[in-house]
Amino acid sequence: MSAVLKPKSKAIVCDGNEAAAWAVTLARVDMVAVYPITPQSSLVEYLAKFVADGKLNAEIVDVEGEHSVLSVLHGGVLAGARAYTGTCGPGLAFMFEPYLRTPGMRMPLVMSIVTRDTLTPQSVWGGHQDAMSVREVGWIQMYCETVQEVLDTTIMAYKVSEHRDVMLPVNVCHDGNYLSYGATRVELPTQEEVDAFLPPPSVNWHAALDPSRPMAVDPLTGGAGGPGPSLFVRYRKGQCSGMQHALAAIEAAHEDWARIVGRRHAPLVESYRMDDAEVALVTLGSMTGAGKDAVDEARDRGERVGLVKVKTYRPFPVQAVARALSGVKAVGVVDRSVSFGWNCGPLYQDVIAALQFAAQRPAAMSFIGGLAGADITTDHFGRVIERTQALARDGQVGETVWLNEKD
Amino acid sequence: MGAYNTIAFKPEHCDGCNACMTACATAKAGSADILNSRIQIVADGDSFELAMCRQCGDPKCVANCPAAALAKDAGDGVIAWDGSKCVNCLLCTVGCAFGGIVYNAAAGHVVKCDSCGGDPACVKACDRGALNYLTTANIYNEVGDLEDLFVPGLAGCQGCNTELIMRHALRRIGPDTVLATPPGCIPGMGSVGYNGLTGTKVPVFHPLLTNTASMLTGVKRHYKRQGREVNAVALAGDGGASDVGFQSLSGAAERGEQILFICVDNEGYMNTGMQRSSCTPFGAWTSTTPVGERGHGKTQDAKNMPLLMMMHNCEYVATASTAFMEDLYDKLDKAIAASKRGFAYLHIYSPCTTGWRFPSQENIEVARKAVETNFVMLWEFNPRDGLRLSRPLDDALPIDAYLEVLGKYRHLEPEQVAHIEGTVKKNAGFIRSLAEGRHPAMAQAVSGRA
Repeated sequence: MSAVLKPKSKAIVCDGNEAAAWAVTLARVDMVAVYPITPQSSLVEYLAKFVADGKLNAEIVDVEGEHSVLSVLHGGVLAGARAYTGTCGPGLAFMFEPYLRTPGMRMPLVMSIVTRDTLTPQSVWGGHQDAMSVREVGWIQMYCETVQEVLDTTIMAYKVSEHRDVMLPVNVCHDGNYLSYGATRVELPTQEEVDAFLPPPSVNWHAALDPSRPMAVDPLTGGAGGPGPSLFVRYRKGQCSGMQHALAAIEAAHEDWARIVGRRHAPLVESYRMDDAEVALVTLGSMTGAGKDAVDEARDRGERVGLVKVKTYRPFPVQAVARALSGVKAVGVVDRSVSFGWNCGPLYQDVIAALQFAAQRPAAMSFIGGLAGADITTDHFGRVIERTQALARDGQVGETVWLNEKD
Repeated sequence: MGAYNTIAFKPEHCDGCNACMTACATAKAGSADILNSRIQIVADGDSFELAMCRQCGDPKCVANCPAAALAKDAGDGVIAWDGSKCVNCLLCTVGCAFGGIVYNAAAGHVVKCDSCGGDPACVKACDRGALNYLTTANIYNEVGDLEDLFVPGLAGCQGCNTELIMRHALRRIGPDTVLATPPGCIPGMGSVGYNGLTGTKVPVFHPLLTNTASMLTGVKRHYKRQGREVNAVALAGDGGASDVGFQSLSGAAERGEQILFICVDNEGYMNTGMQRSSCTPFGAWTSTTPVGERGHGKTQDAKNMPLLMMMHNCEYVATASTAFMEDLYDKLDKAIAASKRGFAYLHIYSPCTTGWRFPSQENIEVARKAVETNFVMLWEFNPRDGLRLSRPLDDALPIDAYLEVLGKYRHLEPEQVAHIEGTVKKNAGFIRSLAEGRHPAMAQAVSGRA
């Protein structure tokens, strides 16, 4: 990732929640529906302020809960609006009914998940458990490493979401606490650049609630007889195709962004110091910064360690992950959430499944850290590297390691 | 052919006082001799029968007349007699099966009812309610010219009241509409269609049972932003309105979204097999409040949805019944107009032949009895004028007149009936006090919130 400061662009200092609000403004979103929840609250406050100040020309709907947040946006999108919201944790859980329906309706919209650990124990701090709990619902999920990535990814998400071969909703995940409140220097693209990048919305050409072209939206479909079964399969298969088309659309959007705005991020996976690496860490989200520092320290010691950051998590970039990790001896996957059914991290499950397609299949182990706001430091990553190096030597895959267990 | 106003006779309210005949004879012949009356009430054992012109749609008197002295007016439906053409053959009297046209010795020719030009003297003279001049015809004629925006052949149960409400409402609201029909009887009978086919001629959708008012909010707000005038309308059951959909409904009402929300109240989840909702009344049998050794139907009173919506200080709230169509249409028009300014909520009672267990041809009669016993009260509210009764609550029929026609109350014990009677009286008192502006809640609703 290289930042090219152009004369036109403006540098500001802001946190991830404000960066998301700037992205919404620059993307010329038509409709925003909001309901506050920690650690997302300041994001919707920024949006409300931007509307009040005349910066953001959007219809803002203050509703009575997250269930209605997404439901309002469903109506807006079916009437032709480019739509946005953000939520997390219990809010996401309450939103689940319309959330479940969004991708099947092939509704393009963008929603930030300001990731938060789920109840219970009662917790208001960061963790990926909320986003991970909805990873199989059919939304595209992208995870951000930095505040700059929050801004850039949120705008790019519209281009992916509204791509005619995709037409699916996108979650841009940024870590609660670490990215929501962490302020850094951020380069704000100009409106002209974003306008050149992002065409006007075209979100309801396929399914609309519009008296000028009346149709029934989402009639009962399926059953055991008549055209039902094959029609239902067509919808489901189409949804899966849209998800796979998203991989190319994401790469193309990043290419356009780099060309127009001058900033390049890895679209699917980022390989960091992976040349000649024997051991690889796999990370997701803001922990990646500490991971890269730990890799640098190991490299300084002469150890052949690299890191692969997964940026696009759904659809899972199976081939890209397999390519990135092919050839290393061992992989240590660090999750900020839990797969209860497998006693490991969910990213770990995805990685070992993807390694089926690697030319040479390394051994891999699961590490879980950073739950409920806990920090994953370079020391923690140092332990991950040590354990993974041991795995590279003996090939003995151990139990899942809980990094903050003895903090 | 359009519909026509008509004089209706209810023999159970008649005591044979002859006031109607006296009035008619006076009006038409200038004498009080009831032999000259064009309306004849005839004793039939313990009851009475009506002998009077029905202004038939396919009149035999007109067909029989060789002189073209009788003709049906296409405008008001009245069959008029022209003395200048009549040849006094009396063939018309042979054709009529109702004793509606007869030879009058004093006049020297046949006489018949001419409806007094739409203001019949007989009806005015009857103070027992046995004669009524039904004037809903103009509604049907007016609405008959509007397009029915649902397809023919929706799969409602035989005698379904909800289907009537849907068709009437959407005709009136018109085609510039986005229609939400949350899960229940309304989409269940095919309005959103199956496997790619639709049952409605306007944009229609299945919201979730929970989010009807929120989805409509999004639709309406975006069209407003674009400067397009589109009606956002819900036809929702009582379950989707009062139970799981209540949060989003309450939120949209509080925000004053420009939506017309019609709750079609059949007092339960009739589409899914007649389960209880919070609108199910006390004592009612449903499949989840069954009757058995210990169970005696629902043990709580119904949630009063229209009053709750009134307390949101909506732009317009009203209750209506298909047994009172003029009133229903008046409220529909007001609700449509109000929904251009803010939230409009119309609560229409819809007796369910299948779920409430009564013969399908009696639906409108059941709806009428619900109102006549005060079980259902017809009123309207707007924030400027407060609550107004649409018909008086005095002289209500005993509650038995309503309960006894419904299978879902067949098991009621006397103390359950007493409870229902008490609830109806309490509700009527409350509504009356609101109408008279005496209740503090009314003052609050009228003045709005601080």
